[in-house]
Amino acid sequence: MKYFRLLSYLILPFGIVLKVSANPANPDVSFILDGFYKTEDTALSKRGRSFGLGHTELSLQSAVDDRFIGKLTTVLESHDGETEVELEEAFLNTVGLPLGLDIRAGRFLSQVGYLNSHHTHSDHFAERPAVYRALLGAHYFDDGLRINTLLPTPFFWRIGVETFKGNQLAGGEGDESVGVYTFNTKLGGDISVSNSWQFGASYIRHKLKVMEEEHEGHDHGHSHNAGYSAEKLYMLDAVWKWAPLGNARNRQLILSAEYIYADDLNEYATDDDTHEGWYASLVYRFRPQWAVGIRQGEVELKQAHDDHFHDQTLEETDLMVSWSRSHFSTIRLQYSRQQGVGFENVKDSVSLQYVMSIGAHGAHEF
Amino acid sequence: MNFKKSQIALLLLGWLISNAAFAKLDILACEPEWRSLAELLGGDKVDVTSATTAFQDPHHIEARPSLIVKARNADLIFCTGAELEIGWLPLLLTKSANPRIQASQLGNFLASNQVELIEKPATLDRSQGDVHAAGNPHVHWDPYRLLKIAEAFSERLKRIDAANKDYYQQRYSAFASRWNESIDKWESLATSLQAKKAIVYHKNWSYLLNWLEVEIIGDLEPKPGIPPTSAHLADLLTNTNYNKPDVILIANYQDKKGALWLSKKSGVPILELPFTVGGSKAADNLFTLYDDALSRLNQIR
Repeated sequence: MKYFRLLSYLILPFGIVLKVSANPANPDVSFILDGFYKTEDTALSKRGRSFGLGHTELSLQSAVDDRFIGKLTTVLESHDGETEVELEEAFLNTVGLPLGLDIRAGRFLSQVGYLNSHHTHSDHFAERPAVYRALLGAHYFDDGLRINTLLPTPFFWRIGVETFKGNQLAGGEGDESVGVYTFNTKLGGDISVSNSWQFGASYIRHKLKVMEEEHEGHDHGHSHNAGYSAEKLYMLDAVWKWAPLGNARNRQLILSAEYIYADDLNEYATDDDTHEGWYASLVYRFRPQWAVGIRQGEVELKQAHDDHFHDQTLEETDLMVSWSRSHFSTIRLQYSRQQGVGFENVKDSVSLQYVMSIGAHGAHEF
Repeated sequence: MNFKKSQIALLLLGWLISNAAFAKLDILACEPEWRSLAELLGGDKVDVTSATTAFQDPHHIEARPSLIVKARNADLIFCTGAELEIGWLPLLLTKSANPRIQASQLGNFLASNQVELIEKPATLDRSQGDVHAAGNPHVHWDPYRLLKIAEAFSERLKRIDAANKDYYQQRYSAFASRWNESIDKWESLATSLQAKKAIVYHKNWSYLLNWLEVEIIGDLEPKPGIPPTSAHLADLLTNTNYNKPDVILIANYQDKKGALWLSKKSGVPILELPFTVGGSKAADNLFTLYDDALSRLNQIR
């Protein structure tokens, strides 16, 4: 019942809010409806067979004053007839500090990698790549503090450090006051009016003691926690976007790829016990309302069993076509092919998904 | 050694002072029309870049790395506002971490805040398309509103860069008298356009056509932000046969498929206009943009 009370607080003001954009009385409100039908249960996936709801999201954002912005995102997910309410974001962000500094505190999505800081409803495929699902719990968010600075270079160069409590990453337990550190840098620019690029590198240091994990297959995931732990993760990401004359309204091509390497899995791990994975995705919006995409990815994992590890591999190919009536609605058909060793439910599947955004206009992040 | 050090310090100090005295005001315009206006009013005291070109739809821009860098360096941003840049400007401001250009700062100038907007929706409902709560933002096509915006922007330049106050006043006076003369010229050119009828792609020509007293009888977009559909085009064709428009107006950056179909079926000619500065060869500033648009519109028979 307490969920209903929380919800009614959040939903009640909505009728008023839609009339005007954010002002002191009315913050920007948006909610996301995400639903799907999927033909099979598949490996490393939280989206099960049959009809289901994905990330149903309710979000409030507003300037606090001239120096702070606040944002709150609640996510509702239902599993096996139970509805869970989770706080995904609850943070403040500074505005216009000197020296290009930018500070965020509270609960937020880590900025590691390319996809992780993006909201899942802006993704081009129904689910995050397998390597993200295994190592970052699809998207890693936690309670902590971020400090970024934009360097005074003629091209875009940002460096940032985050410190987190750490218990949203796999296997973390312990009494460290700071469980996770991340270091991240991003570079980017335009090659021409039609071509833009961005490159990123990240390092995640997980200091909590790694406990024995749940075995995949039993875990149909109520928690957001990543399934596989490691003390050190290294990530590289690259994105290239093309639109004729830079006009993304009619046509746009997006090529993105990421690589993640994880080692020091636990106290029994030898040098050969590492996780590794990558994906590459190509999406082409060939008409204002239509897009097609292909994504190839692979992840090689070591599943911990007491003092030794079992090898697991999963290779995934996704093909998708999507249609958007307007900026705010998307319907997507996706075929996913899985090949793997060491998992239950390695199956090919077809998903039909909708993502609807209602309320405040979303941001066009790169 | 000490002597050398102080010499270097003196040199550095001199360089800093001269830099501060001669540094141009760095202005980031969101659209080319505002870049042109900033150049006309700021002359050689300002350095202006535009975040978008005449071939880009300003609704659909991403806050990409190169734009974040431009926003970080800017002393002043000159944008339309009224939610035209809502998908990317707020993100750009946050990510640039530039205190000078944040909302409510002197370095944040929005054209739509200086004038009354038309077409304010009575109800806001996304089933009516991507409507702007504040009204129609494409305000640079009304020469009278544009003059008001120019005056307000010139005042802003004077406040930010008080050392060059007189210079900016001079530039504004020259601009205003030339603009007023041009308005007379354009209006005399446009007398033959009165009571003509047009079909437009999107509500981006409303200010221009209101000014010239051209009637808009339909939009190629079924709802703002939704590309033409075949059902809607079929309705438009019926409308066209009945209302007999004189022209189908599209902007240089808009998709032409729907317009071509309707033109072929109905025999109504298409006229492509540069939507903003840089949208045609001739339109290299606001004066030549209006000149070019008016001379093209005069081809309507």
